[in-house]
Amino acid sequence: MLLAVSAAIILSSCTTTEIDEFRQSATTINQDESIVILGRRQNNNYETEESFVGCVADVVSSGQNSISVIDEREFLDAMFPFFEPRTAPMRTGHLEQLMAVDVAAEKMEEFGIEYIVWLDGITERSDQSGSISCTIGPGGGGCFGFGTWTDDSIYEAEIWDMDTLSSVGSISTEANGQSYMPAVVVPIPLIARVEANACSGLGNQLKQFINGS
Amino acid sequence: MIYDDGFSNHSFIEINDTTGDDQYIINSGASQIALFNTMLPAVFEEVVQLDSLESASNYSELDAVFFPAIEEFQVGLPQKTRLNVYEIWVKYNMRLARANGDYIADWVMTAYGKSPEETFQSVDAGVNDAANVALRDLAASFTLGLSNIPEVNEWLRSENVLGE
Repeated sequence: MLLAVSAAIILSSCTTTEIDEFRQSATTINQDESIVILGRRQNNNYETEESFVGCVADVVSSGQNSISVIDEREFLDAMFPFFEPRTAPMRTGHLEQLMAVDVAAEKMEEFGIEYIVWLDGITERSDQSGSISCTIGPGGGGCFGFGTWTDDSIYEAEIWDMDTLSSVGSISTEANGQSYMPAVVVPIPLIARVEANACSGLGNQLKQFINGS
Repeated sequence: MIYDDGFSNHSFIEINDTTGDDQYIINSGASQIALFNTMLPAVFEEVVQLDSLESASNYSELDAVFFPAIEEFQVGLPQKTRLNVYEIWVKYNMRLARANGDYIADWVMTAYGKSPEETFQSVDAGVNDAANVALRDLAASFTLGLSNIPEVNEWLRSENVLGE
């Protein structure tokens, strides 16, 4: 029990998260309105992970003051070909042009989307060091060694208002954490949940932002 | 549209650098046909499939004949690129001609797709994911960009399809 509590304390202290919010306009959302959270995938070097987008969507759509979130894949399929990596609007000016297309505007109206949230970012591993070796023999097996690594998550959410077709603000989150893996016979993972913390922080801040807090 | 044998039966063979044997064979012909059979009816009012240009004379109302062809097909495998993703890149040559074979337009389009980043992805799943993204990429750029091809735009205007 003491070991589990100690491990939890170590785990929670291994990640630092910083969240910044920039608001340009007031926001509010009604019960019958929804938002959609989309990942930016135009960059050649990286793509915003679908799993991260899904995580943020889960945080926003649950708990107190939850907001209805349209599933990303459902939205992309319904709005095809307008939100593919090659064709998605990059700026609100492009969104205005898109909404001038009847079929796109009708589909958006059907979904009842009040805000589009674009997530852009990545979680990367850096500063990896150490090694663990494992052996197995007639008398048994085990591992010995020590590994450590740092994960960095940097994401930005830009919120577009579908009524004014303009950006109403952005939220950026930066999280990093150190993970450890000592191995004494068995590996003991002490994993810093960097991406999960970034998701939770960004999702909760986004929920507050859209609700107008 | 006309799908020639090279398009209908297109396959890509990845050679093992060490042994020189066929390592992976990707048969994309059927997927390509399915894609164009879905895409073209969304862009043109009516679409019929012909075996050859000669059979076009059987259709008096034919406005144009469309010939897609695959010029290049490249696959990026994690074991070679050292990335955790599978990538597919395809270069198409699209040709549009009148029913009598007279040239309307000839242009190149590319499609790119990569699988989501996963550490223990199977080759089948990775290539499939990358191919899906690449085909969606082509469909999106074709449907939205076709009328912006200069020769195609000129032809559409001559047919009074585009407004002022």
